[in-house]
Amino acid sequence: MSGYFEMQVGASAAMRHPAIIGIAVFYFVVVSAIGIWATRRTKSASDYFVAGQGIGIVTLAIAAMASTLSGFAFIGGPGLVYNVGTGAVFLVLAASITNTMGAWVLAKRMRLLGEARGLITVPDAIAARFRSPAAQGLSAVAILVAVIGYMATNFLALGLVIDAMFATGLTLGIWLAMLVTLSYTVAGGILAGVYTDLFEGLVKTLASVTVFYYVLRAGGGMEGITRAIAAVDATFLGPWGKMPALSALSLFFVFGLGSLGQPHVAHKFYMLRDPRRLKWYPALMSVAMSLTLLLYVGVGLAMRAKVASGALPPLARADDATPAFVLGFTPSVVAGIVFAGVIAAGMSTVNSFMNIGAAALTHDLPRAFGRRVTDELRWGRAWTLVLSFAAVLVAQMSGTLVAFLGIFGYGLFASTLVPALAIGLNWQGATREGAVASIATGLGLTLVLETLAFFKVFSLPMGVTVSGLALLLSLLVFFVVSWATRARAASQLDADVKLVMEV
Amino acid sequence: MPTRLALTALVLSCTAIAGAYLLAFLPGGAPPWAAWGLAIGSAGSLSSMMALGAVRGGRLRPVPLAASVLTFLVVAGSFGAALLLPANEGPDAVLVLGLPLRAAIVLYGVGLVPILFLPWMYAASFDADTLSQADLDRVRRAAQERGA
Repeated sequence: MSGYFEMQVGASAAMRHPAIIGIAVFYFVVVSAIGIWATRRTKSASDYFVAGQGIGIVTLAIAAMASTLSGFAFIGGPGLVYNVGTGAVFLVLAASITNTMGAWVLAKRMRLLGEARGLITVPDAIAARFRSPAAQGLSAVAILVAVIGYMATNFLALGLVIDAMFATGLTLGIWLAMLVTLSYTVAGGILAGVYTDLFEGLVKTLASVTVFYYVLRAGGGMEGITRAIAAVDATFLGPWGKMPALSALSLFFVFGLGSLGQPHVAHKFYMLRDPRRLKWYPALMSVAMSLTLLLYVGVGLAMRAKVASGALPPLARADDATPAFVLGFTPSVVAGIVFAGVIAAGMSTVNSFMNIGAAALTHDLPRAFGRRVTDELRWGRAWTLVLSFAAVLVAQMSGTLVAFLGIFGYGLFASTLVPALAIGLNWQGATREGAVASIATGLGLTLVLETLAFFKVFSLPMGVTVSGLALLLSLLVFFVVSWATRARAASQLDADVKLVMEV
Repeated sequence: MPTRLALTALVLSCTAIAGAYLLAFLPGGAPPWAAWGLAIGSAGSLSSMMALGAVRGGRLRPVPLAASVLTFLVVAGSFGAALLLPANEGPDAVLVLGLPLRAAIVLYGVGLVPILFLPWMYAASFDADTLSQADLDRVRRAAQERGA
């Protein structure tokens, strides 16, 4: 990620091409227009947090895809492919399965819970399932910790791109990124977020498909790319790339099962206007994600092939793979769309996190302590502001710290939310005690082990990741504690929630 | 019963992954065959979770059951083939759709093949096996009664 934080000077100059800047400015104008439109339609906390349960299935699927694939999919991911080959694809390989799995496991239950109870947050669903303010509070804390890290990482990445394109300097770039995202999120809430996500998702897909065409053209097709790489490094295109098999498969496990614990996606199920349109969610989401991930897979391989064949010198930093490819092998207009896509990726992820973070502070934590905020719309906007300023301050600290905060977000969500939310909504034998114990296990283990690893006090053996271990142990704790307290399970389930779990 | 079976498969999958992780703590690292625990365990965890989510009224209907089983076979089969086949990714390697055989089996087998059947099986069985208008009406009636 450090390469992304220190964009090459030469690349920065090339990024100031009028076509690239023109497309970026056009992008900001469209996003601002959507923000103004959404602000006029946001009149209640329901509008602000769940878009008034009024969005269609195509918007839902593309918005979910846009907020799932952050800037990492366009910059860090291709860099990782450039470095470790096919092993890096294991981060996204399970996307062929997770959308359908998520539809069966979460989408229907979450949307029906929203129908039955008028819920607006993911911790709300956990609280309703287990009648547990403690589980709601703990999951809200986990979400807040991860949200700040994710937001800071994305603000920093956006600041670097804005600096490279407009020569603003990094600090001003970070603040501009925050202010643009904040301007439509704080006023228009998730309604603005979802419709900007739709636009941003389309930009990302267009960018990815177009770049993949140029990848094949520049590399002489997949066969040309493969032959060039295989001539100098046979393991790069092995089934696990340059990773041990255990490490690659561990990524598949975490990013596969862990997808069920991502609140920025699960939260969107509440927003769907007609629950029966979920029928098309897996198909739409799978196609959108597959197309948008073409850039992730293709650019790293093409750049490695160019280096292997001697056409290019090795990249100074792996994360320069995408900027170097689009500036060197695509027309300026395509480069403009790609950089707009990178900005889109960061902003669409950030606005989702702003919203769920604000909901955790406005809605979940007060309820965990038995209190209710009277004007959730006003407080939601206020907390969105506070969270954004906090994340910007974090983003201006050391790049290492920000990278550290960004790394454990996915794993923290997975280990704290998958057992209580995904299994809890589908197993009537699960108990409140199991849910609280598993959330606490995921939160504690992730924070302790990641911190120890960050300070190099302790590290796990090759092939074992903190996120994988924390997810596994929180699942096992959930099963064991629920089994030990199974006599209480039936009494912890309300009739309407039971109905939602049975239909 | 289907819920119990899906949960048992999920716990067994987690146990297989835990075994692979434990082997990694051995002096000298995990033996090569430890990857089988993760290959089978991760395929099992996704397909059993899918089956758990598809259970309705205590029953797992044929289409979701077939989708879960097929997912397990495709994912575990692809990873298993990649682990079993000899390495042959050099300059003279046989290419399948532009990739060396083992990489093609994993990337196309796990990354693309499930898209060819999973979303469409979900859509085809949605009305009968996932959410009918009658189900939705029941939930809405319950919500009204709760609010009344």
